[in-house]
Amino acid sequence: MKPDVSVYFGELVRSLREDLAPKLPTAFEQGAALRLAMLSQAASEEFDRAAARRFEENEAMRRLFESASSFVKSPDLLIRLQNVGSVREESIHVSELERVNQMMRVLLIELHAHVELLVGDDARDLEREIWSELSASTERRAVSIGRF
Amino acid sequence: MGGLDERLANYLTRHMGRPVRVDSLDRIPVGASRETYRFVMRTVGETGPTSRRMILRLDPPASLIETDRRTEYAAIRAFHGSDVPVPELLMVEENPDALGASFIVMQEIEGGEAAPYKLMEPPYEANLAATGRRKWSILGSIAKTDPAACGLDRILPPVAADDCWREELQRWETVLDADELEPQPIQRAAIRWMKRNPPPPAQRISVVHGDYRTGNLLVNDRGAIIGVLDWEMAHLGDPLEDLAWSINRVWCFRKDERRGGMLPKDEAIAIWEEASGLTVDADALRWWELLACLKGQAIWISATKEYQTGATRDPLMALTGWMQVNSQDRATLELMGHLSHGVSK
Repeated sequence: MKPDVSVYFGELVRSLREDLAPKLPTAFEQGAALRLAMLSQAASEEFDRAAARRFEENEAMRRLFESASSFVKSPDLLIRLQNVGSVREESIHVSELERVNQMMRVLLIELHAHVELLVGDDARDLEREIWSELSASTERRAVSIGRF
Repeated sequence: MGGLDERLANYLTRHMGRPVRVDSLDRIPVGASRETYRFVMRTVGETGPTSRRMILRLDPPASLIETDRRTEYAAIRAFHGSDVPVPELLMVEENPDALGASFIVMQEIEGGEAAPYKLMEPPYEANLAATGRRKWSILGSIAKTDPAACGLDRILPPVAADDCWREELQRWETVLDADELEPQPIQRAAIRWMKRNPPPPAQRISVVHGDYRTGNLLVNDRGAIIGVLDWEMAHLGDPLEDLAWSINRVWCFRKDERRGGMLPKDEAIAIWEEASGLTVDADALRWWELLACLKGQAIWISATKEYQTGATRDPLMALTGWMQVNSQDRATLELMGHLSHGVSK
């Protein structure tokens, strides 16, 4: 689809900042226009990576669930790790990737809490891997408009 | 039913017992919890016609945080005349009949700027370090203020020194539980850590402003802080709560180490210590910094929910979801020693 979505968003951001905002009569309206420009900038960044970051994250969580299966003590949690870990996305639409992502992140929270209470090197290794993935997922979601 | 200016004029006329005219009513882009308007109040007093620039703070249909206008009114009144600069209050009205929502009317402090992105630019930029020193000195003064001496102990709910952390943690975890639209594994891990590693009891029960950050300070073009605004989240608690919130990473407006866009963290803490008379325990402050991350995230996801569900279409609410949520998670990771700096934005 041409022009590229990034080209359209780039022009939208420029237009909101340079053409529209300065002409609005009040500081409140100008501020709202600038916020819409920032949102459009973030939307442009998310458009390009939306499927990729969810795909990467879902694969990473599947690997964590698999690693955990050898030493998780709770039978109930173990079954759910296997069940949720085996769920495959029915398409690569963002909404489908997101559906599976949310299901897996709920289970990741439970796994993280469980592993924190286990003793042994395996548990510590997995805990480090979970934190590493949480850090990586935060970086995948970062937007240039963020202050930190 | 007339416009907001007409309804406000009618209310003020009834309230003040003489004709009041409201001119130049204009919404201004400050405060995330209330709709804030500037206006000129014209009336005839005993000495003839008077004209005063005023501020109307109106509860909106949706906001970042659920707040209490009576708390704000009491806190501002308590600090009026102290070395903590606050506006002069005219009235608080909790009955929504007049304007459709509760509101506060106060004097406008003229010549001040609160928008952080403007404060990072000329003419304010040159004075940011001095403004920062004053910022944390004022916060130290708030921490030093005896709640009983200023009367706030009779208005704000009491809290025991060893319960401050528990009450705040429970408060913001409850908001997260109620409002999250997607799982929050980083905040959930932080909550578990905070519960396992509680801080020591508060050194002192202080008035906690609750939202002390650059965007709630009015600064003039010489760098002086001429107003501390937005007291609606004020409560009694551990003064480290305010200090931690003020140095939260999400307020690093210049994308560097200067907290609030003004001072390095260590310098801000040293100034606060001197002004408050308290010594900061590094581990305790770290706990409260994590609490500040949870509090921030709870506020941001609540705003996100308001936008997602259509309760508001204010772009600020959407912006918090896309910008602040990620920054707040990064801040949490940094405090917990798990932030990867290998990937650039």
